[in-house]
Amino acid sequence: MTDDTTNTDDEPRTDGGGTGIVAPDDETPTWRERKERTEGLSRLTYEYFERARSEDESLRRESDYVERDVLAFPTWPHETVRNLALTSFFVGMIIFLSATLPPHIGNPANPNSTPAIILPDWYLYWSFGLLKLGPLNPELAILGGQKLMADRTYGVLTNGVVVGAIAIVPFINKGSARRPVEQPFWAAVGMFGVTLAFTLSMLSVKNLMPMNVDLLFDLTFLVPPIVAAITYAVLKTMREGYMYDLNRRYYRLRPPK
Amino acid sequence: MADEFIKGLGLFCGAGLAWMVLAGWYRTPSFESPKQLIAAPPEPNSVFDAIGIFLNDVFFWTAIIGALTFWVLIPAVNQVRESSSSA
Repeated sequence: MTDDTTNTDDEPRTDGGGTGIVAPDDETPTWRERKERTEGLSRLTYEYFERARSEDESLRRESDYVERDVLAFPTWPHETVRNLALTSFFVGMIIFLSATLPPHIGNPANPNSTPAIILPDWYLYWSFGLLKLGPLNPELAILGGQKLMADRTYGVLTNGVVVGAIAIVPFINKGSARRPVEQPFWAAVGMFGVTLAFTLSMLSVKNLMPMNVDLLFDLTFLVPPIVAAITYAVLKTMREGYMYDLNRRYYRLRPPK
Repeated sequence: MADEFIKGLGLFCGAGLAWMVLAGWYRTPSFESPKQLIAAPPEPNSVFDAIGIFLNDVFFWTAIIGALTFWVLIPAVNQVRESSSSA
């Protein structure tokens, strides 16, 4: 039996011998591995995680704390005090703002007159923007250049397409990634959706946008793929410097002995 | 690095909050007007108003310069110092 596998009792050991926390020596990157990451963003990512890893390792080496089979923190006092602190901060902020900046209460709305600008709440602008996709409604030659459905019907149906796409995503991707860098493609899909929601929102208020409306319409569908491509490229580059094992170690749930 | 970030963020948020409140008092003619927080301040009627209008600018520039100092200036100085000491 070599020294590596000997388990002496006087030495503090973590559960099950292998800690799952401190990187074993053979996981410590060699100087050659370190030097291979020499370029820009991948090197920066690598240095960040390497620094976090080595700090973590040296901290745990120095301490005499023994890891227990703790799977969570107790509700009292840990979680409760933390939650009370957060709650107090936000309640205090609400009281402070309502005391210092009381908003003027406007006149009541007149139900008999329609306002000049009708808009839904801001978080539904994307859906409102989908109602303005009339130019995309195809004029079919088979119908003699007529449209299959009215522009407003078309706009309502596109809502179903978007909601359907969002509903399908969790069935295709189960969300095992802890960070966007682990799955660049799906992160790019997410950025595509966020950007599309934003550009559609801009389209929905096109009469307020200081911009050519046709250009705005084109940008609505051109910007999201560009943002997705940039996201994919950046994350793909970062992934060269990313340490999967380190991250997996942090999040591993260790079963009690 | 993280310490400098939180110092800058603290200055930015704290001074920004104080600026927002004072600008809401002195530089907002109406919460329905399109010029909020940036309208010209009125002539101070009392010494407290004068102090408030003065502090408004102080907090504004504290937020800007404080964040720039800890996020840009000090890291840049540290970088220059490191590169010159290693060279």
